[in-house]
Amino acid sequence: MSALTLTTGAASATPTRARPRPRTPSKIVVWVAEHTLLALLLVLFIAPIIFVALTSFMTSDQALTSALWPDPWSIETYVKAFETVPLVRWFANSALYAVLATGFMLLSSVPAAYALSRLKFKGANVIFVAIVVAMLLPPQITAVPLYVMWVKAGMTGTLLPLILPNLLGDAFSIFLLRQFFLTIPREYSDAARVDGASEWGILWRVVIPMARPGIAAAGLFLFFHSWNDYYGPLLYTSENQAWWPVAYGLATFRGSHSTNWGLTMAITMLVMIPVVLIFFFAQRVFVEGITLTGVKG
Amino acid sequence: MSAVPLNSGRTASLAVRPGLKRSQRRRQLTALAMLTPALLGLAIFFVFPLLASVVFSFTRYDLLSDPQWVGLLNYEYLFTKDPKVWIAAGNTLWFVVILVPVRMLTSLLVAMLLVRARQASGFWRTAFYLPALVPPVASVVAFVFLFNPGTGPVNTIIGFFGGQGPLWFNDPALSKPSLLLLGVWVLGDIMIIFLAALLDVPREQYEAAELDGASSAQRFRYVTLPNIVPVLVFALVTGVIAALQYFTEAAVASSVASGKATVGEGAGSTIGYPDDSLLTFTQWIYVRGFSNFQLGYASALAVLLFVVAALFLVLLLRRVKAFTPEEAQG
Amino acid sequence: MKMQRPLAAIIAIAAVTALAACSGPSNQEISPTAPAHLEGTVSLWHFFSDREADVIQSVVDDFEAANPDVTVDVHSGQDDEKLQKAIAAGNNVDVGISYSTDIVGAFCSSGAFRDLGPYIERDGVDVGQFSETTASYTQFEGTRCALPVLADAYGLYVNDDMLADAGYDHAPQTMEELEEMALAMTTYKDDGSIDVLGFNPLMGYYENTPTNWAMTVGATWLKDDGTSNIGSDSGWAEILQWQKDFVDAIGYDKLQAYSAGMGQEFSADNAFQTGKLAMNFDGEYRTAFIADQAPDLNYSTVPIPTLADHSDSYGGGYVTGNIGGIAKNSKNPELAWALLEYLTTDTDAVVKLSNGLKNAPTITSALESPDLEVTPQFQTFLDIIQSPNSKTTPPSKVGAGYQQAMGDYWNKFQQGDGGDLTDGLTGVDTAINDSLALVDGP
Repeated sequence: MSALTLTTGAASATPTRARPRPRTPSKIVVWVAEHTLLALLLVLFIAPIIFVALTSFMTSDQALTSALWPDPWSIETYVKAFETVPLVRWFANSALYAVLATGFMLLSSVPAAYALSRLKFKGANVIFVAIVVAMLLPPQITAVPLYVMWVKAGMTGTLLPLILPNLLGDAFSIFLLRQFFLTIPREYSDAARVDGASEWGILWRVVIPMARPGIAAAGLFLFFHSWNDYYGPLLYTSENQAWWPVAYGLATFRGSHSTNWGLTMAITMLVMIPVVLIFFFAQRVFVEGITLTGVKG
Repeated sequence: MSAVPLNSGRTASLAVRPGLKRSQRRRQLTALAMLTPALLGLAIFFVFPLLASVVFSFTRYDLLSDPQWVGLLNYEYLFTKDPKVWIAAGNTLWFVVILVPVRMLTSLLVAMLLVRARQASGFWRTAFYLPALVPPVASVVAFVFLFNPGTGPVNTIIGFFGGQGPLWFNDPALSKPSLLLLGVWVLGDIMIIFLAALLDVPREQYEAAELDGASSAQRFRYVTLPNIVPVLVFALVTGVIAALQYFTEAAVASSVASGKATVGEGAGSTIGYPDDSLLTFTQWIYVRGFSNFQLGYASALAVLLFVVAALFLVLLLRRVKAFTPEEAQG
Repeated sequence: MKMQRPLAAIIAIAAVTALAACSGPSNQEISPTAPAHLEGTVSLWHFFSDREADVIQSVVDDFEAANPDVTVDVHSGQDDEKLQKAIAAGNNVDVGISYSTDIVGAFCSSGAFRDLGPYIERDGVDVGQFSETTASYTQFEGTRCALPVLADAYGLYVNDDMLADAGYDHAPQTMEELEEMALAMTTYKDDGSIDVLGFNPLMGYYENTPTNWAMTVGATWLKDDGTSNIGSDSGWAEILQWQKDFVDAIGYDKLQAYSAGMGQEFSADNAFQTGKLAMNFDGEYRTAFIADQAPDLNYSTVPIPTLADHSDSYGGGYVTGNIGGIAKNSKNPELAWALLEYLTTDTDAVVKLSNGLKNAPTITSALESPDLEVTPQFQTFLDIIQSPNSKTTPPSKVGAGYQQAMGDYWNKFQQGDGGDLTDGLTGVDTAINDSLALVDGP
């Protein structure tokens, strides 16, 4: 697979494929038609974000009208957002959830993925299939007993039921990491093995350094998954506002506070921005991760 | 990431090494050590709760008093009396049958257009991918706002052109299609996979087909399609799996669109709004289990979902190369 | 491997049962005398938020001032779902306040709320001071596990200015009258959509609940054995048909479009408060919202009108209320009882809560207290509470399930999808009785 990236990849991907483009009139018509269609679609795809952003910069009163353009521009709703709900706390909770979950997952899942990709042992296939099945089955199937378990452990009302399981591996992450590890040429680890390195040594000194993009991608996926999670917090922390993450807070915000769209849109913007920022810094890794799940294998 | 011959040379290098048995044994132990957390995780958070769900499904249990064995009562109620279970199943089926294919088709269309866009390709790709990044809760809240019948920009714009905008998320007939629009908006996740696959189709095959005088439709049918089939199947399988557990988007859309204060009642009270049109199967499990605290009955619903999902997996799992263990290396 | 599988299954099942069964025995033994001195921390879980939470806090402050060694740990914004999760999970809940009576059936029978009988008896609390309705909805099958913490009564709100503009000088007493006035006050925009509505008959809109509509015919919900009485009470069929005809007179789609475009019920853009709606069923608490958010509104309140042939049941309203109880896992039940007793039976506390929340007080001494702030609009609801024609929704093990079953059918019926009305209501009976059997069958 060629290295596909969004903003930078074009240059590296095109030259190998470039071929003389016949400049016949019909080709030009096609070119224009295609780009017009793309441009039209683009407007439709970008418009929602633009409207949300515009509404968030209206005054509360104007946001209640059907006006499309802020008049005057105002950051009133952003200021109000921080006054109305404990936004800082929500963001801190989300960050805590996402960072701990991701860290724990990497600790437990990288060795597991390595074992599944590199070591031959009895039952490896069974374990792999079990992981795929665990990854694919809807989580609601096991929700009741898990909930009862966390109740008996006295941990509902906190984010622990969502963070701790990552210490014991995350099925999707293991799967993804394994796919990455399979793309690393075996020659490197074999060479290290001939030199007498232990499997842990190979993992630490050969595979992890080479799989850094893959590990970063798996980490980012879980980070985003945790940051965006609604179902988990709904189930486990809804009764304890002190532990609400920001995505759950946003979802319940309009129900519990008699409020207006402007405020809601301001919070919506604030929830979006960190994810988009992280993406722009790490997009190569991220896109590689997505395509690898689906294409490679 | 060109295809690396993963099996080459390995067996040979191992075979010549002395003390093979002992080293294999040690590797088994290392593998076990590396997998221990994951195996424990599978046992505690997957296998055990799966079995326990089955056990619970034969009980009446509200977490407050001890579970009480009721035999098949839950299943009898599920199949013959539950007034909403089939509504919920039908809605979930709608998302499986409509949402998944529509998302795949539009993703493919956009990906094919993006392959053709050579100038500023990075800009185009980012622009179409961006919505997929928006956290689902935020994108749903945004869509309910955009389409709200009172002051929403969409109906305002329709109004500019003299039209009368529909009720979108507030209309039982349009609430699912409104979520479909949302699903198309966030098509970036599939689109990017399709784009990668399309870019991977060997150029020579197109050129050969062109020399043979194939029309563009024929080129798609005989060159593009065979090359991207694995990716299509992957998108189909993961799409259906995701649709079977469709929860967040529908629950948040209902809650926000209902405009109802949930003061006092809880999340379960707005689920399905309007008129149960967004009540999906997983939400019904939630309502029964965690809003009504009928945990035994919710388990029976979960077991039904498990059977359906498992059947689906058995049928389709083998068709996705990535999900089969053949590649597990020794 | 093969041998181990059944074994593993047995272990799993045993583990589940053990897990589930280890909910400890609830100790209902109480000391023979109330403690002379209170100290420690007691947690109070309630559903109020924002302004209303501040009112609760002010009364809690009084309790703490009276008992210097007591700290009350307040958890606000806890709806029923969360309260139930917290109690079931054994979280630190001592006193829980729910917004409605719907959880009483489940909480009394499962023991989520403790039986208050022993405390009431020991401390000689006079249950007779609570109005009959509120006393009835805080117990289930003979177990009193809750006390009323203020009550809600529902009536009809009328915008006097809009009424006068349309040439009426009094609020409607019958639903027929209400419909005539509503149609006269409704105005349309150029495109045919509703601009201002006289009364919104759509089931599900704001407080258009089956419970409020039941009052127009005095319909009853459950039989004495707890099973559904809906199909047997002819009033239901009568009011469903009447309401549907009313909806059709304006048009379902138009009403739906209007309702979707209106502001959220508990926000300042509530349609009645903004003058987009002339008449509306609502609770007594609306008077506080109006005073806060639309102080210039000129309005009055009356009991919910009845159908002309049911005028003998006029004067009452739907009465429900907040209820409080002591959670099963309370670590300090004596302290919890002291707090609950204070919140529900101390005249000053109840008056202060009532004045702040604009909910109706539930004890006689508070109703008669000179400190109780009563506006004419609020007085209507105090009368409703004491009216013999008032009704409540009886506690049931399916909670609000029976009301939802009715609401679901009503919703279908008003859209024309309800089929034959008699069959439909029989279907509602079956649905309610089935779900009752699921949670309480043999």
